Amino acid sequence: MNEHVIDAPAHDASHDDHDHHGPAKGIKRWLFTTNHKDIGTMYLIFSLVMFFIGGSMALVIRSELFQPGLQFVHPEFFNQMTTMHALIMVFGAVMPAFVGLANWMIPMQIGAPDMALPRMNNWSFWILPVAFGILLSTLFMPGGAPASGWTMYPPLVLQTGDAFPFLIFSVHLMGLSSIMGAINIIVTILNMRAPDMWLLKMPMFVWTWLITAYLLIAVMPVLAGAVTMLLTDQFFGTSFFLAAGGGDPVMFQHIFWFFGHPEVYIMILPAFGVVSEIIPTFARKPLFGHDSMVYAASCIAFLSFIVWAHHMFTVGMPLSGQLFFMFATMLIAVPTGVKVFNWVATMWRGAMTFETPMLFSLAFVFLFTLGGLSGLMLAVVPSDIQYHDSYFVVAHFHYVLVPGSIFALFAAAYYWLPKWTGHMYSETAGKIHFWASTIFVNVTFFPMHFLGLAGMPRRIPDYSTQFTDFNSIASIGAIGFGLSQLVFVYVLLTAKKGEKATDRVWEGSHGLEWTVPSPAPYHTFDTPPVKRIAEESFE
Amino acid sequence: MSDAEQQRNIRRTALIFAGVAVVFYIGFIMIGVLRA
Repeated sequence: MNEHVIDAPAHDASHDDHDHHGPAKGIKRWLFTTNHKDIGTMYLIFSLVMFFIGGSMALVIRSELFQPGLQFVHPEFFNQMTTMHALIMVFGAVMPAFVGLANWMIPMQIGAPDMALPRMNNWSFWILPVAFGILLSTLFMPGGAPASGWTMYPPLVLQTGDAFPFLIFSVHLMGLSSIMGAINIIVTILNMRAPDMWLLKMPMFVWTWLITAYLLIAVMPVLAGAVTMLLTDQFFGTSFFLAAGGGDPVMFQHIFWFFGHPEVYIMILPAFGVVSEIIPTFARKPLFGHDSMVYAASCIAFLSFIVWAHHMFTVGMPLSGQLFFMFATMLIAVPTGVKVFNWVATMWRGAMTFETPMLFSLAFVFLFTLGGLSGLMLAVVPSDIQYHDSYFVVAHFHYVLVPGSIFALFAAAYYWLPKWTGHMYSETAGKIHFWASTIFVNVTFFPMHFLGLAGMPRRIPDYSTQFTDFNSIASIGAIGFGLSQLVFVYVLLTAKKGEKATDRVWEGSHGLEWTVPSPAPYHTFDTPPVKRIAEESFE
Repeated sequence: MSDAEQQRNIRRTALIFAGVAVVFYIGFIMIGVLRA
Protein backbone atom coordinates (compact mmCIF):
# COMPACT_ATOMS: atom_id res chain seq x y z
CA MET A 1 0.00 0.00 0.00
CA ASN A 2 2.82 2.33 0.83
CA GLU A 3 4.50 1.70 -2.50
CA HIS A 4 1.27 2.76 -4.16
CA VAL A 5 1.34 5.97 -2.14
CA ILE A 6 4.98 6.71 -2.97
CA ASP A 7 4.20 6.60 -6.64
CA ALA A 8 0.99 8.55 -6.34
CA PRO A 9 1.15 12.12 -7.57
CA ALA A 10 0.34 14.77 -5.00
CA HIS A 11 -2.50 16.09 -7.16
CA ASP A 12 -4.88 14.16 -9.32
CA ALA A 13 -4.87 14.54 -13.07
CA SER A 14 -7.78 16.92 -13.11
CA HIS A 15 -5.95 19.39 -10.92
CA ASP A 16 -4.22 22.12 -12.82
CA ASP A 17 -0.52 22.36 -12.22
CA HIS A 18 -0.31 26.00 -11.17
CA ASP A 19 1.57 24.86 -8.07
CA HIS A 20 4.55 23.78 -10.05
CA HIS A 21 5.79 27.09 -11.38
CA GLY A 22 8.08 29.32 -9.38
CA PRO A 23 7.12 32.38 -7.41
CA ALA A 24 5.40 35.36 -9.05
CA LYS A 25 7.48 38.46 -9.60
CA GLY A 26 7.38 41.72 -7.65
CA ILE A 27 4.92 42.80 -5.00
CA LYS A 28 2.24 40.41 -6.27
CA ARG A 29 4.33 37.48 -5.07
CA TRP A 30 3.98 38.69 -1.50
CA LEU A 31 0.42 40.04 -1.67
CA PHE A 32 -1.19 37.01 -3.25
CA THR A 33 1.14 34.18 -2.30
CA THR A 34 -0.29 30.94 -1.01
CA ASN A 35 3.12 29.32 -0.64
CA HIS A 36 3.89 28.31 2.94
CA LYS A 37 7.52 29.35 2.65
CA ASP A 38 6.68 32.84 1.37
CA ILE A 39 4.06 33.30 4.08
CA GLY A 40 6.47 32.00 6.71
CA THR A 41 9.07 34.50 5.55
CA MET A 42 6.55 37.35 5.75
CA TYR A 43 5.54 36.33 9.28
CA LEU A 44 9.19 36.23 10.35
CA ILE A 45 10.06 39.61 8.86
CA PHE A 46 6.90 41.16 10.30
CA SER A 47 7.67 39.83 13.76
CA LEU A 48 11.25 41.13 13.56
CA VAL A 49 9.96 44.61 12.70
CA MET A 50 7.52 44.41 15.62
CA PHE A 51 10.35 43.16 17.87
CA PHE A 52 12.28 46.35 17.13
CA ILE A 53 9.24 48.62 17.55
CA GLY A 54 8.32 46.95 20.84
CA GLY A 55 11.98 46.98 21.86
CA SER A 56 12.31 50.71 21.26
CA MET A 57 9.29 51.20 23.54
CA ALA A 58 11.09 49.13 26.18
CA LEU A 59 14.07 51.47 25.81
CA VAL A 60 11.80 54.47 26.42
CA ILE A 61 10.64 52.77 29.63
CA ARG A 62 14.17 51.90 30.76
CA SER A 63 15.53 55.37 29.89
CA GLU A 64 12.83 56.95 32.03
CA LEU A 65 13.67 54.57 34.88
CA PHE A 66 17.43 55.08 34.65
CA GLN A 67 17.16 57.55 37.52
CA PRO A 68 14.42 58.51 40.00
CA GLY A 69 12.30 61.50 39.11
CA LEU A 70 10.71 62.23 35.76
CA GLN A 71 13.37 62.37 33.04
CA PHE A 72 12.10 62.18 29.49
CA VAL A 73 8.39 61.42 29.21
CA HIS A 74 5.12 62.28 30.89
CA PRO A 75 3.67 59.59 33.18
CA GLU A 76 0.67 59.22 30.82
CA PHE A 77 3.00 58.45 27.92
CA PHE A 78 5.02 56.08 30.12
CA ASN A 79 1.85 54.08 30.75
CA GLN A 80 1.14 54.03 27.02
CA MET A 81 4.62 52.65 26.45
CA THR A 82 4.24 49.81 28.98
CA THR A 83 0.88 48.86 27.45
CA MET A 84 1.96 49.06 23.82
CA HIS A 85 5.30 47.34 24.50
CA ALA A 86 3.47 44.33 25.96
CA LEU A 87 0.76 44.15 23.29
CA ILE A 88 3.30 44.45 20.49
CA MET A 89 5.77 41.95 21.92
CA VAL A 90 3.12 39.34 22.79
CA PHE A 91 0.83 39.57 19.76
CA GLY A 92 3.15 41.19 17.20
CA ALA A 93 6.56 39.70 17.85
CA VAL A 94 6.59 36.37 19.70
CA MET A 95 3.35 34.80 18.42
CA PRO A 96 3.77 35.69 14.72
CA ALA A 97 7.43 34.61 14.84
CA PHE A 98 6.42 31.13 15.97
CA VAL A 99 3.63 31.05 13.36
CA GLY A 100 6.27 31.98 10.78
CA LEU A 101 8.44 29.07 11.88
CA ALA A 102 5.39 26.80 11.80
CA ASN A 103 4.59 27.88 8.25
CA TRP A 104 8.12 27.28 7.07
CA MET A 105 8.87 24.07 8.88
CA ILE A 106 5.72 22.04 9.64
CA PRO A 107 4.90 21.08 6.01
CA MET A 108 8.54 20.17 5.44
CA GLN A 109 8.80 18.21 8.69
CA ILE A 110 5.69 16.10 8.07
CA GLY A 111 6.30 15.59 4.35
CA ALA A 112 3.38 17.74 3.13
CA PRO A 113 3.50 19.86 -0.04
CA ASP A 114 2.04 22.96 1.68
CA MET A 115 -0.37 24.03 4.40
CA ALA A 116 -3.85 22.53 4.10
CA LEU A 117 -5.62 25.88 3.60
CA PRO A 118 -3.19 28.09 1.67
CA ARG A 119 -5.56 30.97 0.86
CA MET A 120 -6.63 31.27 4.47
CA ASN A 121 -2.93 31.22 5.32
CA ASN A 122 -2.40 34.31 3.18
CA TRP A 123 -5.36 36.01 4.85
CA SER A 124 -4.14 35.09 8.36
CA PHE A 125 -0.91 36.92 7.67
CA TRP A 126 -2.22 40.01 5.92
CA ILE A 127 -4.68 40.73 8.73
CA LEU A 128 -1.71 41.30 11.04
CA PRO A 129 -0.15 44.41 9.45
CA VAL A 130 -3.64 45.94 9.41
CA ALA A 131 -4.20 45.08 13.08
CA PHE A 132 -0.88 46.54 14.19
CA GLY A 133 -1.22 49.53 11.87
CA ILE A 134 -4.47 50.31 13.69
CA LEU A 135 -2.90 49.72 17.11
CA LEU A 136 0.14 51.88 16.37
CA SER A 137 -2.02 54.63 14.91
CA THR A 138 -3.54 55.14 18.37
CA LEU A 139 -0.26 56.77 19.43
CA PHE A 140 -1.29 59.77 17.35
CA MET A 141 -4.91 60.00 18.52
CA PRO A 142 -6.39 62.46 21.04
CA GLY A 143 -5.80 60.94 24.46
CA GLY A 144 -2.94 58.85 23.10
CA ALA A 145 -2.54 55.11 22.91
CA PRO A 146 -4.12 52.66 25.38
CA ALA A 147 -2.44 53.03 28.76
CA SER A 148 -4.24 50.59 31.04
CA GLY A 149 -1.77 47.72 30.66
CA TRP A 150 -2.02 44.83 28.23
CA THR A 151 -4.55 43.20 30.58
CA MET A 152 -7.08 45.93 29.72
CA TYR A 153 -8.78 45.75 33.12
CA PRO A 154 -12.04 47.67 33.46
CA PRO A 155 -12.95 50.20 34.64
CA LEU A 156 -9.50 51.71 33.93
CA VAL A 157 -9.46 50.69 30.26
CA LEU A 158 -12.83 52.41 29.74
CA GLN A 159 -11.06 55.71 30.45
CA THR A 160 -9.00 55.28 27.27
CA GLY A 161 -9.58 58.16 24.85
CA ASP A 162 -10.36 57.89 21.17
CA ALA A 163 -8.02 54.90 20.99
CA PHE A 164 -10.44 52.57 22.78
CA PRO A 165 -12.49 51.21 19.85
CA PHE A 166 -9.32 50.92 17.78
CA LEU A 167 -7.69 48.88 20.56
CA ILE A 168 -10.69 46.54 20.67
CA PHE A 169 -10.81 46.21 16.88
CA SER A 170 -7.09 45.50 16.61
CA VAL A 171 -7.28 42.84 19.37
CA HIS A 172 -10.17 41.21 17.50
CA LEU A 173 -8.13 41.18 14.30
CA MET A 174 -5.10 39.69 16.06
CA GLY A 175 -7.35 37.01 17.53
CA LEU A 176 -8.91 36.27 14.15
CA SER A 177 -5.48 35.91 12.59
CA SER A 178 -4.30 33.58 15.36
CA ILE A 179 -7.43 31.42 15.21
CA MET A 180 -7.21 31.03 11.44
CA GLY A 181 -3.50 30.23 11.72
CA ALA A 182 -4.22 27.66 14.43
CA ILE A 183 -6.99 26.00 12.40
CA ASN A 184 -4.62 25.78 9.45
CA ILE A 185 -1.89 24.16 11.54
CA ILE A 186 -4.22 21.60 13.12
CA VAL A 187 -5.81 20.71 9.79
CA THR A 188 -2.41 20.41 8.13
CA ILE A 189 -0.96 18.16 10.81
CA LEU A 190 -4.03 15.94 11.08
CA ASN A 191 -4.68 15.58 7.36
CA MET A 192 -1.50 16.23 5.39
CA ARG A 193 1.12 14.02 7.04
CA ALA A 194 2.97 11.75 4.67
CA PRO A 195 2.10 8.05 5.04
CA ASP A 196 4.15 6.45 7.83
CA MET A 197 4.54 9.79 9.61
CA TRP A 198 2.58 8.53 12.60
CA LEU A 199 1.58 10.99 15.26
CA LEU A 200 4.18 9.79 17.75
CA LYS A 201 6.85 9.86 15.04
CA MET A 202 6.35 13.56 14.40
CA PRO A 203 9.22 15.90 15.35
CA MET A 204 8.79 17.70 18.67
CA PHE A 205 8.41 21.08 16.96
CA VAL A 206 5.34 19.76 15.12
CA TRP A 207 3.97 18.20 18.30
CA THR A 208 4.36 21.30 20.42
CA TRP A 209 2.75 23.38 17.68
CA LEU A 210 -0.20 20.98 17.43
CA ILE A 211 -0.79 21.38 21.16
CA THR A 212 -0.29 25.14 20.93
CA ALA A 213 -2.84 25.36 18.13
CA TYR A 214 -5.42 23.58 20.31
CA LEU A 215 -4.72 26.13 23.04
CA LEU A 216 -5.14 28.99 20.57
CA ILE A 217 -8.50 27.69 19.36
CA ALA A 218 -9.71 27.41 22.94
CA VAL A 219 -8.54 30.73 24.35
CA MET A 220 -8.32 33.36 21.63
CA PRO A 221 -12.15 33.41 21.28
CA VAL A 222 -12.31 33.94 25.06
CA LEU A 223 -10.17 37.08 24.75
CA ALA A 224 -12.34 38.19 21.85
CA GLY A 225 -15.46 37.64 23.97
CA ALA A 226 -13.97 39.64 26.84
CA VAL A 227 -13.05 42.63 24.68
CA THR A 228 -16.42 42.47 22.89
CA MET A 229 -18.07 42.87 26.28
CA LEU A 230 -15.75 45.81 27.03
CA LEU A 231 -16.89 47.36 23.75
CA THR A 232 -20.57 46.95 24.55
CA ASP A 233 -20.03 48.30 28.07
CA GLN A 234 -18.46 51.41 26.59
CA PHE A 235 -20.76 52.07 23.67
CA PHE A 236 -23.96 50.03 23.94
CA GLY A 237 -25.10 50.57 27.51
CA THR A 238 -24.38 47.10 28.91
CA SER A 239 -22.87 46.57 32.36
CA PHE A 240 -20.93 43.34 32.12
CA PHE A 241 -18.06 44.77 34.10
CA LEU A 242 -19.45 48.03 35.49
CA ALA A 243 -20.25 47.79 39.20
CA ALA A 244 -22.56 50.83 38.98
CA GLY A 245 -24.82 48.94 36.58
CA GLY A 246 -24.73 45.69 38.55
CA GLY A 247 -21.77 44.26 36.66
CA ASP A 248 -18.62 42.70 38.04
CA PRO A 249 -15.16 44.04 37.13
CA VAL A 250 -13.53 40.98 38.71
CA MET A 251 -15.34 38.79 36.18
CA PHE A 252 -13.26 40.46 33.45
CA GLN A 253 -10.12 39.43 35.29
CA HIS A 254 -11.31 35.81 35.49
CA ILE A 255 -12.17 35.75 31.79
CA PHE A 256 -9.00 37.58 30.77
CA TRP A 257 -6.73 35.21 32.71
CA PHE A 258 -8.62 32.16 31.45
CA PHE A 259 -7.17 33.36 28.15
CA GLY A 260 -4.02 34.89 29.61
CA HIS A 261 -2.47 31.93 31.31
CA PRO A 262 -2.73 29.49 28.39
CA GLU A 263 -1.37 32.40 26.33
CA VAL A 264 1.85 32.06 28.31
CA TYR A 265 2.12 28.45 27.14
CA ILE A 266 1.20 29.46 23.60
CA MET A 267 4.38 31.51 23.67
CA ILE A 268 6.58 28.86 25.29
CA LEU A 269 5.44 25.45 23.97
CA PRO A 270 6.74 26.05 20.42
CA ALA A 271 9.99 27.23 22.06
CA PHE A 272 10.15 23.85 23.81
CA GLY A 273 9.72 22.26 20.40
CA VAL A 274 12.56 24.28 18.87
CA VAL A 275 14.96 23.42 21.70
CA SER A 276 13.93 19.76 21.45
CA GLU A 277 14.99 19.82 17.79
CA ILE A 278 18.30 21.60 18.33
CA ILE A 279 19.76 19.86 21.39
CA PRO A 280 19.70 16.34 19.80
CA THR A 281 21.35 17.73 16.64
CA PHE A 282 24.32 19.26 18.45
CA ALA A 283 24.55 16.50 21.08
CA ARG A 284 24.44 13.98 18.21
CA LYS A 285 22.01 11.80 20.14
CA PRO A 286 18.29 11.12 19.76
CA LEU A 287 16.02 13.20 21.96
CA PHE A 288 15.76 11.45 25.33
CA GLY A 289 12.17 10.42 26.00
CA HIS A 290 10.44 11.75 22.86
CA ASP A 291 7.06 10.32 23.87
CA SER A 292 7.34 11.57 27.44
CA MET A 293 8.05 15.04 26.01
CA VAL A 294 4.77 14.81 24.08
CA TYR A 295 2.86 13.75 27.19
CA ALA A 296 4.56 16.44 29.27
CA ALA A 297 3.62 19.16 26.75
CA SER A 298 0.02 17.89 26.69
CA CYS A 299 -0.05 17.85 30.47
CA ILE A 300 1.25 21.44 30.63
CA ALA A 301 -1.44 22.49 28.14
CA PHE A 302 -4.18 20.84 30.22
CA LEU A 303 -2.93 22.35 33.47
CA SER A 304 -2.73 25.79 31.85
CA PHE A 305 -6.55 25.89 31.85
CA ILE A 306 -6.94 25.38 35.60
CA VAL A 307 -4.43 27.82 37.06
CA TRP A 308 -5.65 31.22 35.83
CA ALA A 309 -6.60 32.68 39.22
CA HIS A 310 -2.99 32.61 40.47
CA HIS A 311 -2.80 35.99 38.69
CA MET A 312 -5.54 37.23 41.01
CA PHE A 313 -4.61 36.03 44.51
CA THR A 314 -4.71 39.58 45.86
CA VAL A 315 -8.14 40.28 44.34
CA GLY A 316 -9.75 38.12 46.98
CA MET A 317 -11.12 34.60 46.79
CA PRO A 318 -12.07 31.82 49.19
CA LEU A 319 -9.21 29.95 50.87
CA SER A 320 -10.20 26.77 49.04
CA GLY A 321 -9.87 28.64 45.75
CA GLN A 322 -6.44 29.94 46.71
CA LEU A 323 -5.29 26.46 47.68
CA PHE A 324 -6.63 24.88 44.48
CA PHE A 325 -4.97 27.41 42.19
CA MET A 326 -1.73 27.32 44.19
CA PHE A 327 -1.38 23.55 44.05
CA ALA A 328 -2.48 23.34 40.41
CA THR A 329 0.14 25.94 39.52
CA MET A 330 2.88 24.13 41.42
CA LEU A 331 1.89 20.93 39.61
CA ILE A 332 3.05 22.48 36.32
CA ALA A 333 6.61 22.19 37.58
CA VAL A 334 6.34 18.39 37.22
CA PRO A 335 5.86 18.10 33.42
CA THR A 336 8.16 21.10 32.92
CA GLY A 337 10.76 19.31 35.01
CA VAL A 338 10.33 16.24 32.80
CA LYS A 339 11.22 18.39 29.81
CA VAL A 340 14.26 19.99 31.43
CA PHE A 341 15.60 16.62 32.64
CA ASN A 342 15.02 15.12 29.18
CA TRP A 343 17.06 17.90 27.55
CA VAL A 344 19.84 17.33 30.05
CA ALA A 345 19.66 13.56 29.55
CA THR A 346 19.84 14.12 25.77
CA MET A 347 23.11 16.00 26.25
CA TRP A 348 24.49 13.44 28.72
CA ARG A 349 27.53 11.79 27.10
CA GLY A 350 26.64 13.34 23.78
CA ALA A 351 29.33 14.46 21.32
CA MET A 352 28.43 18.09 21.85
CA THR A 353 29.49 21.07 19.80
CA PHE A 354 28.51 24.63 20.51
CA GLU A 355 27.37 26.39 17.36
CA THR A 356 25.13 29.44 17.80
CA PRO A 357 21.77 27.57 17.77
CA MET A 358 23.06 25.22 20.49
CA LEU A 359 24.37 28.14 22.57
CA PHE A 360 20.98 29.85 22.48
CA SER A 361 19.29 26.54 23.33
CA LEU A 362 21.58 25.93 26.30
CA ALA A 363 20.97 29.46 27.57
CA PHE A 364 17.27 28.77 27.13
CA VAL A 365 17.44 25.68 29.35
CA PHE A 366 19.29 27.52 32.13
CA LEU A 367 17.49 30.85 32.04
CA PHE A 368 13.97 29.61 31.30
CA THR A 369 14.35 27.29 34.29
CA LEU A 370 15.33 30.31 36.37
CA GLY A 371 12.12 32.03 35.23
CA GLY A 372 10.21 28.86 36.10
CA LEU A 373 11.65 28.81 39.60
CA SER A 374 10.59 32.40 40.30
CA GLY A 375 7.20 31.35 38.91
CA LEU A 376 7.02 28.67 41.60
CA MET A 377 7.70 31.35 44.22
CA LEU A 378 4.84 33.40 42.79
CA ALA A 379 2.54 30.38 42.89
CA VAL A 380 2.69 30.26 46.69
CA VAL A 381 -0.23 32.33 47.96
CA PRO A 382 1.33 33.98 51.04
CA SER A 383 4.47 34.98 49.17
CA ASP A 384 2.54 36.06 46.07
CA ILE A 385 0.61 38.52 48.19
CA GLN A 386 4.00 40.11 48.94
CA TYR A 387 5.37 39.91 45.39
CA HIS A 388 2.19 40.85 43.53
CA ASP A 389 2.46 43.88 41.23
CA SER A 390 6.15 44.28 42.09
CA TYR A 391 9.23 44.18 39.87
CA PHE A 392 9.72 40.56 40.95
CA VAL A 393 6.81 39.68 38.67
CA VAL A 394 8.38 41.73 35.87
CA ALA A 395 11.67 39.85 36.37
CA HIS A 396 9.83 36.50 36.36
CA PHE A 397 7.89 36.87 33.14
CA HIS A 398 10.75 38.54 31.31
CA TYR A 399 13.01 35.59 32.18
CA VAL A 400 10.38 33.28 30.73
CA LEU A 401 9.77 35.36 27.63
CA VAL A 402 13.15 36.86 26.67
CA PRO A 403 15.79 34.20 27.37
CA GLY A 404 12.87 31.78 27.04
CA SER A 405 10.72 32.40 23.98
CA ILE A 406 12.92 34.95 22.22
CA PHE A 407 16.17 33.00 22.69
CA ALA A 408 14.38 29.95 21.27
CA LEU A 409 13.36 32.08 18.29
CA PHE A 410 16.98 33.15 17.78
CA ALA A 411 18.09 29.52 18.12
CA ALA A 412 15.52 28.49 15.50
CA ALA A 413 16.54 31.29 13.15
CA TYR A 414 20.22 30.29 13.29
CA TYR A 415 19.36 26.58 13.06
CA TRP A 416 17.17 26.80 9.97
CA LEU A 417 18.65 29.91 8.31
CA PRO A 418 21.03 27.87 6.09
CA LYS A 419 18.04 25.77 4.96
CA TRP A 420 16.12 28.94 4.10
CA THR A 421 18.92 30.87 2.37
CA GLY A 422 21.18 28.08 1.11
CA HIS A 423 24.18 29.72 2.78
CA MET A 424 25.88 29.51 6.17
CA TYR A 425 25.53 32.62 8.30
CA SER A 426 28.55 34.21 9.98
CA GLU A 427 29.24 31.98 13.00
CA THR A 428 31.47 34.66 14.55
CA ALA A 429 28.69 37.25 14.35
CA GLY A 430 26.24 34.66 15.69
CA LYS A 431 28.44 33.97 18.71
CA ILE A 432 28.89 37.72 19.37
CA HIS A 433 25.11 38.08 19.20
CA PHE A 434 24.67 35.20 21.63
CA TRP A 435 27.19 36.31 24.24
CA ALA A 436 26.15 39.98 24.13
CA SER A 437 22.45 39.03 24.38
CA THR A 438 23.04 36.56 27.22
CA ILE A 439 25.13 38.93 29.29
CA PHE A 440 22.86 41.92 28.79
CA VAL A 441 19.61 40.00 29.29
CA ASN A 442 20.83 39.04 32.76
CA VAL A 443 22.13 42.54 33.50
CA THR A 444 18.67 43.85 32.56
CA PHE A 445 16.36 41.44 34.29
CA PHE A 446 18.25 39.89 37.21
CA PRO A 447 18.36 43.12 39.27
CA MET A 448 14.58 43.38 38.87
CA HIS A 449 14.25 40.42 41.28
CA PHE A 450 15.97 42.47 43.96
CA LEU A 451 13.91 45.56 43.14
CA GLY A 452 10.70 43.60 43.47
CA LEU A 453 11.72 41.93 46.72
CA ALA A 454 12.65 45.38 48.06
CA GLY A 455 9.14 46.58 47.23
CA MET A 456 9.37 48.52 43.96
CA PRO A 457 5.96 48.43 42.26
CA ARG A 458 5.68 47.78 38.53
CA ARG A 459 4.19 50.20 35.94
CA ILE A 460 5.50 53.39 37.59
CA PRO A 461 7.55 56.13 35.89
CA ASP A 462 9.20 57.33 39.11
CA TYR A 463 10.46 55.58 42.24
CA SER A 464 12.04 56.06 45.64
CA THR A 465 15.77 56.75 45.65
CA GLN A 466 16.73 53.47 47.34
CA PHE A 467 15.86 51.69 44.09
CA THR A 468 18.24 53.80 41.98
CA ASP A 469 21.27 51.52 41.64
CA PHE A 470 19.51 48.40 40.44
CA ASN A 471 17.34 50.47 38.08
CA SER A 472 20.41 52.10 36.55
CA ILE A 473 22.03 48.69 36.05
CA ALA A 474 18.84 47.31 34.45
CA SER A 475 18.64 50.30 32.10
CA ILE A 476 22.26 49.89 31.01
CA GLY A 477 21.54 46.21 30.39
CA ALA A 478 18.48 47.06 28.31
CA ILE A 479 20.40 49.46 26.10
CA GLY A 480 23.14 46.83 25.69
CA PHE A 481 20.55 44.17 24.85
CA GLY A 482 18.93 46.47 22.30
CA LEU A 483 22.26 47.23 20.62
CA SER A 484 23.16 43.51 20.62
CA GLN A 485 20.19 42.87 18.36
CA LEU A 486 21.83 44.96 15.65
CA VAL A 487 24.33 42.11 15.33
CA PHE A 488 21.38 39.84 14.48
CA VAL A 489 20.33 42.29 11.79
CA TYR A 490 23.89 42.12 10.43
CA VAL A 491 23.68 38.31 10.42
CA LEU A 492 20.43 38.45 8.46
CA LEU A 493 21.69 41.04 5.98
CA THR A 494 24.79 38.95 5.27
CA ALA A 495 22.95 35.61 5.44
CA LYS A 496 23.37 34.93 1.73
CA LYS A 497 27.04 35.84 1.61
CA GLY A 498 28.45 32.88 3.52
CA GLU A 499 29.66 29.58 2.11
CA LYS A 500 27.14 27.33 0.39
CA ALA A 501 25.18 25.20 2.80
CA THR A 502 24.91 21.45 2.32
CA ASP A 503 21.51 19.78 2.28
CA ARG A 504 22.11 18.30 5.72
CA VAL A 505 23.65 21.58 7.03
CA TRP A 506 24.46 20.20 10.51
CA GLU A 507 26.35 16.96 11.05
CA GLY A 508 23.87 15.63 13.59
CA SER A 509 20.63 16.83 12.02
CA HIS A 510 17.80 14.38 11.41
CA GLY A 511 14.39 15.01 9.89
CA LEU A 512 12.70 15.45 6.55
CA GLU A 513 13.62 19.13 6.21
CA TRP A 514 17.28 18.14 5.97
CA THR A 515 16.67 15.78 3.05
CA VAL A 516 15.69 18.57 0.65
CA PRO A 517 18.26 20.87 -1.01
CA SER A 518 19.47 24.09 0.63
CA PRO A 519 17.85 26.53 0.01
CA ALA A 520 14.62 24.55 0.20
CA PRO A 521 12.94 24.53 -3.24
CA TYR A 522 9.80 26.66 -3.66
CA HIS A 523 7.75 23.46 -3.67
CA THR A 524 8.72 20.44 -1.61
CA PHE A 525 7.28 16.93 -1.26
CA ASP A 526 4.87 16.92 -4.19
CA THR A 527 4.98 13.17 -3.65
CA PRO A 528 4.96 11.82 -0.08
CA PRO A 529 8.53 11.03 1.03
CA VAL A 530 7.79 7.62 2.54
CA LYS A 531 11.27 6.14 2.03
CA ARG A 532 12.93 9.20 3.49
CA ILE A 533 10.80 8.96 6.62
CA ALA A 534 12.14 5.48 7.26
CA GLU A 535 15.71 6.59 6.59
CA GLU A 536 15.48 9.69 8.76
CA SER A 537 14.12 7.90 11.80
CA PHE A 538 16.43 8.06 14.80
CA GLU A 539 15.22 4.67 16.01
CA MET B 1 -6.60 8.19 0.52
CA SER B 2 -7.82 9.94 -2.63
CA ASP B 3 -7.38 13.67 -3.13
CA ALA B 4 -11.14 14.21 -2.96
CA GLU B 5 -11.33 12.31 0.31
CA GLN B 6 -8.43 14.31 1.70
CA GLN B 7 -10.09 17.57 0.68
CA ARG B 8 -13.28 16.46 2.41
CA ASN B 9 -11.34 15.64 5.60
CA ILE B 10 -9.55 18.97 5.48
CA ARG B 11 -12.82 20.85 5.14
CA ARG B 12 -14.47 18.84 7.90
CA THR B 13 -11.58 19.32 10.36
CA ALA B 14 -11.43 23.06 9.62
CA LEU B 15 -15.17 23.45 10.15
CA ILE B 16 -15.11 21.52 13.42
CA PHE B 17 -12.38 23.73 14.87
CA ALA B 18 -13.93 26.92 13.53
CA GLY B 19 -17.15 25.77 15.25
CA VAL B 20 -15.29 25.19 18.52
CA ALA B 21 -13.86 28.72 18.30
CA VAL B 22 -17.33 30.22 17.71
CA VAL B 23 -18.79 28.21 20.61
CA PHE B 24 -16.06 29.47 22.96
CA TYR B 25 -16.63 33.07 21.80
CA ILE B 26 -20.37 33.00 22.24
CA GLY B 27 -20.15 30.81 25.34
CA PHE B 28 -17.99 33.22 27.26
CA ILE B 29 -20.17 36.16 26.29
CA MET B 30 -23.14 34.11 27.53
CA ILE B 31 -21.36 33.66 30.87
CA GLY B 32 -21.26 37.45 31.07
CA VAL B 33 -24.92 37.74 30.06
CA LEU B 34 -26.10 35.15 32.58
CA ARG B 35 -24.09 36.68 35.40
CA ALA B 36 -25.09 40.28 34.67
